[in-house]
Amino acid sequence: MNRALRRVSLACLAMFLLLLVNVNYVQGFEAGKLADYPGNGRTFAQQYQYQRGSIITSDNVPIAASKHVPGIYSFQRYYPEGATYAPVTGYDTPYSKTGIEQAEDKLLAGTDPRLAVRNLIDLVTGKPRKGATVQLTVNSAAQKAAYQALKATGLPGGAVAIDPKTGAILALASYPSFNPNKLATLNGNALNKADQRYLNSPQQPLLNRAINETFPPGSTFKVVTSSAAFSSKYTPDSRFYAPTNLKLPGTTHQLINYDHSPCNDGSNPTGNGTVPLIYAFTVSCNTVFGGLGMKLGGSALRQQANAFGMNQELTIPLKVSASQYPPVSNPDYTAYSAIGQYSDTVTPLQEAMFAAGIANHGTLMRPYLVQKVIAPNLSTLVITKPSELSHTVSPAVAAQVSRMMADVVAQPYGTAHSMVANLGGITVAGKTGTAQNGANNTGLDDAVFTGFAPVANPQIAVGVVVKGGGLGADASAPVAAAIIKAYINYLNSPAKR
Amino acid sequence: MSALGAMGDGAGTATATSPGLARAVPLPRGRRGAELIMLAFAICVVLFAYASVGLGLNGHVPTGLATYGVLFALLMLAAHLAIRKLAPWADPLLLPLAALLNGLGLVMIYRLQEAGRNGNPGNAISTMSASTTTFQLVWSTIGVVAFVAVLLVVREPRMLQRYTYTLGVIGLALVALPALLPSSISAVPGTGAKIQVALGGFSIQPEEFGKLALAVFFAGYLVAKRDVLSLAGRHVLGIALPRARDMGPVLIAWAASLLVLIFESDIGTSALFFGMFLIMLYVATQRTSWLLIGTSLFLAGAFLASKLVSHVGLRFNIWLHPFTYANVFCNTASVHVPCVPSYQLAQGMYGLGFGGILGTGLGHGQPYLTPLVQSDFIITAFGEELGLTGLMALLLIYGLIVERGMRAAVAVRDPFAKLLAGGLSFTIALQVFVIVGGVTQLIPLTGITTPFLSQGGSSLVASWMVIAVLMRISDTARRPAPQPIQDEGMTQVVRGI
Repeated sequence: MNRALRRVSLACLAMFLLLLVNVNYVQGFEAGKLADYPGNGRTFAQQYQYQRGSIITSDNVPIAASKHVPGIYSFQRYYPEGATYAPVTGYDTPYSKTGIEQAEDKLLAGTDPRLAVRNLIDLVTGKPRKGATVQLTVNSAAQKAAYQALKATGLPGGAVAIDPKTGAILALASYPSFNPNKLATLNGNALNKADQRYLNSPQQPLLNRAINETFPPGSTFKVVTSSAAFSSKYTPDSRFYAPTNLKLPGTTHQLINYDHSPCNDGSNPTGNGTVPLIYAFTVSCNTVFGGLGMKLGGSALRQQANAFGMNQELTIPLKVSASQYPPVSNPDYTAYSAIGQYSDTVTPLQEAMFAAGIANHGTLMRPYLVQKVIAPNLSTLVITKPSELSHTVSPAVAAQVSRMMADVVAQPYGTAHSMVANLGGITVAGKTGTAQNGANNTGLDDAVFTGFAPVANPQIAVGVVVKGGGLGADASAPVAAAIIKAYINYLNSPAKR
Repeated sequence: MSALGAMGDGAGTATATSPGLARAVPLPRGRRGAELIMLAFAICVVLFAYASVGLGLNGHVPTGLATYGVLFALLMLAAHLAIRKLAPWADPLLLPLAALLNGLGLVMIYRLQEAGRNGNPGNAISTMSASTTTFQLVWSTIGVVAFVAVLLVVREPRMLQRYTYTLGVIGLALVALPALLPSSISAVPGTGAKIQVALGGFSIQPEEFGKLALAVFFAGYLVAKRDVLSLAGRHVLGIALPRARDMGPVLIAWAASLLVLIFESDIGTSALFFGMFLIMLYVATQRTSWLLIGTSLFLAGAFLASKLVSHVGLRFNIWLHPFTYANVFCNTASVHVPCVPSYQLAQGMYGLGFGGILGTGLGHGQPYLTPLVQSDFIITAFGEELGLTGLMALLLIYGLIVERGMRAAVAVRDPFAKLLAGGLSFTIALQVFVIVGGVTQLIPLTGITTPFLSQGGSSLVASWMVIAVLMRISDTARRPAPQPIQDEGMTQVVRGI
């Protein structure tokens, strides 16, 4: 019987060999394919097996990082600054990502092809894979000031600051914001609860008001109208008819100044004469700009608006909603659109781009958020070089618009003169807007501001919209002042690199 | 016996005392010291694995390490001491291997029980309770008691031969029992199989013990009849068929067990019984024609079953297309086909792939995602958390048990013991092949227990009893023959037991 037993032994050996070969095939060769099946829930958790790269500000403040936690998810995302930076960082949940977390996901996760060689070396040396660090252009002083100032208004709104010389975004804030840490939880129930709460909140905390909600620009659009005017044949000193009420051709509508106030620099007591454009700009006369708009025509205004970056979507790398200046031909609608009403809509980023296009002598730099990407071995993988987006106006015209914007703040009768008190000696050029909105303009006026500082050598351009904030000077200008002051103080501080 | 020398084994030296050899016969040793050292090693591996589960789950050594760990160690030491007393010449490797498997099974059941409980990561497995491991430890104790009892009662393998027909009847009765009982008692929830006897929350699967009884019956019957069975009857197509009257009882026993098992919807065990019978028949008669007849019978049966029983046909479909959506998420709207989805198989495969080469580490994987992972699919939990490396080690442990059993079969003189040891060893190999091959997609999946590892008492106790029988047979094989001591030809002392 031993011969048969020996054969049976060999058969047993063969069965075990088959099993061994098969498990080698499954776990050694087929593992990658198995991981890619859509129904594989385990792959899901795998994205948390590696340390995701950090997101830091330009002044090296960490705003998103991964910390080690016990359990099947080895790492958990956390956001040290929470809601302040939420519109920038976005969130990173097992199901979805937003913001920079989404836009730079492959680099942060370490799966980008540019990290492939590094990953291979790590595999050989047995080091765990690690994501790259993304350094933003955001300045922590400006961002904190922007969020705190918006929060202080208690109203929904957005604020953006950019360096006009490069296009680097210095601050990008939205209020009400959300706490991304609540969504970074690895507890499914807690995540679902937080998600539902944010999604169903009437305050829409997940909406990035700085780049994804548009508002009527109101009188801040006069920067564009003026730019178009000076690019044709006018100067700040050109005098224009300045009635208290402007009858619009072809309709019974009348264009009025804010609060029906006359447009009088002393030379127009009857409300039937003319004023220089610079005066009309400084006190924000709607009738003058309505008339000017009709003279320039809708297509010239649209062309100028396009030069400031309107009517196009941007990727910074977050997706920016397009600010709209639709084609307009009727003279009455052209008059309305020239003062930033009718169908004009802008994002707070667009407001900052108005100021930046003027501040940088007519060259609008492409806005960007990512300064550089640093590999785990500290080598620089990506560095963003500033590039031009468009030419807005000639340097001479930019100087003229700049002069008018400076008057808005500097002149005692300027609409934004009240902000001087908050600036501590920093000179600011700007334009306020008080935009009517809602059905038949029954909504609360949105407060809008665009501006840059210092006037002589612009370092920062800001755009602010506070929804329902009333007068631009009351609600938005203080926010802009807080951002400008925080950033200029940072530049002058010894702590600066 | 001439072939035994080629084995080059300690067991061989005991029996290969060919009178023609003029060399000194080395004193055979029981090697109980080696067994104790290997047992200590096995216990250490189990205790470290237990501690590793706690550290992997929540960073703490499990509180039960002192109590459960010491209990397990004492249990195995008790088994060792019993062997010293009852079977001092038995194979020293079988107990440490069985202890290692039983211990690792306990560790994995504890790990699965803890998932999602006591604040540990994962989802709690609804088919397990917080005291499952305690129950399994109680079953391990019963298993070791049964192991000792078998060694105590069966002092010689031949003893069993006396009860050939009694055990045959008992075996058949045990196998048939669940089929005769109402479904409320015999059906295993969620599987459709009628294989247990459940009374008051306590359940046993009698077929596990029936398997052992039938193995004894087959061995006894085939040994008694092997000369007749080897006789050639009619020749059909060049194959010598046995005489029908010799085959009667065996064919009846086989057909009965097969019918009962198909009636109980348990294909895996049915295949196992048939394989065991066929191999023992082959070993007894040494006629390859039996293998050909049997294999053809089996293939024809499997083909017919796949056509006639939709349940079986579906198993084939699942095996071929486990990741097809319709299979993974079984369509319950189809009333003609019972819903046996491949969800479980797919999840098990995902787990294996997720574990990869080195595994996630105990407590770091997500084996709880696989339904009923604690019973049929426990091998995928090992594959996931211990990786290909751990799984291959487990397969080698099984392989070693089988080969040690085969070695005992080859070494023992008594044909009955030879056949019994060979049949039982092959059955272990076949059982491992069917279940491990099934969950790793090598062969169509049929649910049977994984010896020593799966949750459940009957299989564990029966496995310990099989090890006891193998050790009794190896003890008989390795026991030194009464050795004449030459003292100048004057006296002759016979040593023996």
